[in-house]
Amino acid sequence: MESRLLHVNLTTGELRVEQLPHAMFERWIGGSGINNWIMWEHFLKHDINCDPRSPDNIFVFGVGPLAGTGSGSGIKGRITFKSPCYGIFGDSAAGGKFPYMVRFAGFDHIAITGKAPRPVYLYLCDGHADIRDATHLWGKNTAETHTALNTELGDYPSHVHTLTIGQAGEHQVGIAAVVSDASRIHARGGGGCVMGSKNLKAIAVQGSGGVRVANPAGMLKWSREFRASIDRNEAIYGFKRRGTLGAVEMYQHIGSHFWRNNQGNMFRGDEVRSDNWVKKYHKYSEVCSADCFIACDGRYKIDGSESEKAQKYVGETFRRPEYLTTGSAAGALDLRDWAEVAHWGKITNDYGIDNQDLSCAISFIMEVNQHGLLSERDIGELFGRAQSLEWGNMEDVETLMADIVYRRNLFGELFHDGPYWGALRYSARTGRNFMKYSIYGKGGASFTEEMRPFPTWMNNMAVASRGADHLKGIGLIEKFQRRDLSKRYFNGRLEAADLSTPVLKGACTALVENQVALINSYGVCLFHWMLDPTGYAPEEYYGRAFAEVTGIDRTPEELMRDGERICNLEKAFNSRLGLRREHDTICERWMFEPTTEGMYPGRVAADMFETVLDEYYEWRGWERDTGLQTASRLESLGMGDVAEVLAADGALARG
Amino acid sequence: MITVHAQYQARFREITQVERESFELETPRVAELATRLTGKYGPTMQALLMDADGENLNTRGTLYLNSRGERVFIEDPLYDGDTIYFMVGIAGG
Amino acid sequence: MSRTPQTEMVTGAVWYQPGDEIPDVDQKLYALQNQCTDCNICEVACSLVHSPDGIVNPLLARLKVNHSPQVGKRAPTHGFGFAADICHHCGNPPPCAEVCPADAFYYDPKTNVAVIAQDKCIGCMECVPGCPFDVIFVAPDGELLKCDLCGGEPACVEACATRPELNNVGKQYNRAPVLFHADSATYRAVLQDKPEPRDEVGMMQAMLEKGMVSSAA
Repeated sequence: MESRLLHVNLTTGELRVEQLPHAMFERWIGGSGINNWIMWEHFLKHDINCDPRSPDNIFVFGVGPLAGTGSGSGIKGRITFKSPCYGIFGDSAAGGKFPYMVRFAGFDHIAITGKAPRPVYLYLCDGHADIRDATHLWGKNTAETHTALNTELGDYPSHVHTLTIGQAGEHQVGIAAVVSDASRIHARGGGGCVMGSKNLKAIAVQGSGGVRVANPAGMLKWSREFRASIDRNEAIYGFKRRGTLGAVEMYQHIGSHFWRNNQGNMFRGDEVRSDNWVKKYHKYSEVCSADCFIACDGRYKIDGSESEKAQKYVGETFRRPEYLTTGSAAGALDLRDWAEVAHWGKITNDYGIDNQDLSCAISFIMEVNQHGLLSERDIGELFGRAQSLEWGNMEDVETLMADIVYRRNLFGELFHDGPYWGALRYSARTGRNFMKYSIYGKGGASFTEEMRPFPTWMNNMAVASRGADHLKGIGLIEKFQRRDLSKRYFNGRLEAADLSTPVLKGACTALVENQVALINSYGVCLFHWMLDPTGYAPEEYYGRAFAEVTGIDRTPEELMRDGERICNLEKAFNSRLGLRREHDTICERWMFEPTTEGMYPGRVAADMFETVLDEYYEWRGWERDTGLQTASRLESLGMGDVAEVLAADGALARG
Repeated sequence: MITVHAQYQARFREITQVERESFELETPRVAELATRLTGKYGPTMQALLMDADGENLNTRGTLYLNSRGERVFIEDPLYDGDTIYFMVGIAGG
Repeated sequence: MSRTPQTEMVTGAVWYQPGDEIPDVDQKLYALQNQCTDCNICEVACSLVHSPDGIVNPLLARLKVNHSPQVGKRAPTHGFGFAADICHHCGNPPPCAEVCPADAFYYDPKTNVAVIAQDKCIGCMECVPGCPFDVIFVAPDGELLKCDLCGGEPACVEACATRPELNNVGKQYNRAPVLFHADSATYRAVLQDKPEPRDEVGMMQAMLEKGMVSSAA
């Protein structure tokens, strides 16, 4: 397995290529695993407590070993950095064609440090790299930047694929995102802010090289099997057609939406309650990630006849909204017109900002206003003008969004790091406590989905390494009540799939976190994982693909340990920053306010929270009282070196 | 003999062309309901409702809940007046 | 063209004797204009099957996904103008083979497809403009790349992200797959016999009107 890491120091302009040793893949698999290790090593030499916006922070991009190999699965690129909005570990994934093109250009990972004296972009082509002036791109949104770079660089030797930031990243907004090819978004954690703080406007890549597969015949066989299995399942045609929007109707039924800052858990707008509305307007081509054989993505084009407010957006074209775009717009902000929901997706993408954090910040202030807690004077002070804060009003939403993106008034300054820090700062400033209206977990804004009825999900929110997050240990065994999987993984026990008990929920989080860490390190899309023929068993199924590509043959048990090792490194990073058990927590609303709607009314997180957390630490082998890792567990995972660093920082359990 | 109701959503509704219907079952088992559904709606329903070997319910991309919000599996019992919700969806976004 | 003995490159076996009548390709590749999802998986899959040494590179593929917004007469109007540029497997001998000064084309006896014998090819690129559909490609190292139908089971068709619709005609999708491996009669039949569109929205509306479903939250 050959793999190249490009070091970029933007302060000095130094570019250096490092050949990653084979042992790196043996230990960290690739993708997010190697990204984490690169960042870990960086912060052994630099102050880990540095300001995430300072030149000392690192921005790592990486692809997994399956990218561009014809597997049909390895489509995700991953960025890793110290998060400016959460202040802890931060990373984010996106698909599209940028990741595989980076590989064809001859690199697997890019590590960027320092700060350029003026706006620049990084250009990669066939093994070479170049730092180029980007003054002319500064101020452009992500789509304009992508187009400008395409015009500038031409179509030889291949199409240009880009990673760009928009105005949000330029203004170092904490929740700014990085956008791949103008439409796929590395949203969580504020990667755009890190790029902005380094004066790095974009990364553009062209490549005509190849990727080596150790066993092409085996790879071909593997992908054939996968395709055959997918094609047999009728449910997947629905997924191909609607993408994650297929979940809208189901979530409406079970009560899993996030309505008006999670005051409810069902959508109210007639049009947005069913996925029929997507199909009504879905008269355009599907598009999809490079080298993906599912193609769950689509594009819309508004002709004005679709809905009441569509006239405003005639001619607009963008990717069809996914579930969380809809969840944030139709749920958190209560927009009820399809054209507005779609437009919300487009403008957050153009500005380059995370629509989960953003919608939670806006819906927070709207809810505070709804309870009559903002006087006219407060509003004048926050916005510097008279401002209506009406649910479901697209004009208000757009104005508030621009406030945050340009940090142009007090509201923008307070809330550009998301609702948790915004609420803290505003409470401190006014001397009143607004924290009960802020929806967060571990300092990160919620993603817009209800989790109180689902113990594993609420545990995820509290323990995920990058703050409130459902993707690190996605609790599908429980949400979809998969007794079959519970049986398989927990020696025939069924409790992991039972929503009414805390038993095995922490264990389930730990198990799935390990699996997801593996998936992320292969660079495989989580949806491929959910649909794989063995049904959520990445260690078996993708382990084979990994072996075909790299020649590294592992047993499923060994691969699960690899996953656990990757999770433990993320945890160690946060422990070094001083995170302990008390930081693994979630907000008041989830804890104490019961759900009122859907199939599972009357649930609060507090009933099970501590029990589940205890169990999670137990399965992880971490100390219960502090949440810290133990030397013995780390050594058993072959992470003695990490344990030493933690011990030196006083971040290792004493026991 | 018991009566159970089936409520369909999304892809299921497209196949059945009705939102809700009732079945009278000889044995109070999910297995019988599944057999009746595949018998009535043919191979498309079979490909959606059942997994590849046709022995178990399809678990990939689907969710089947009873009136109490519990997922049902092929071997589960049914009770008189139960409603089974047949849903399709992949989480997240 | 057909007067040259047709030999297999590796084994040296003679496929067709000089003067033999070579029948035309029966099952050909067809690509539906303007319905391609631009996922490039056909390119990657093609380069994987044609890569005994394990190098996967879309630039070595024997087809290309192209953006050609000028929509053909029979193409569906929805879409963003992507199409897979792929060998049409013209009647034998095809124009590309006819212009070849080195007689570097041979015929695969299984599929009757004209294939370039790389050991005979002199790299003059005459066949590139000789192809009326611009589907002979030049690899970065100068090798000329032409579709060989993968010996009868084209990997691109198998891998195409829209492939399941091939088995799904008339079911959920009211669209055809992008890539076909079929005889021209089947292809024409699929194109003309469009599956009936399902208006699910209308159905929902009808249900609302009949009171079969409630519009309340």
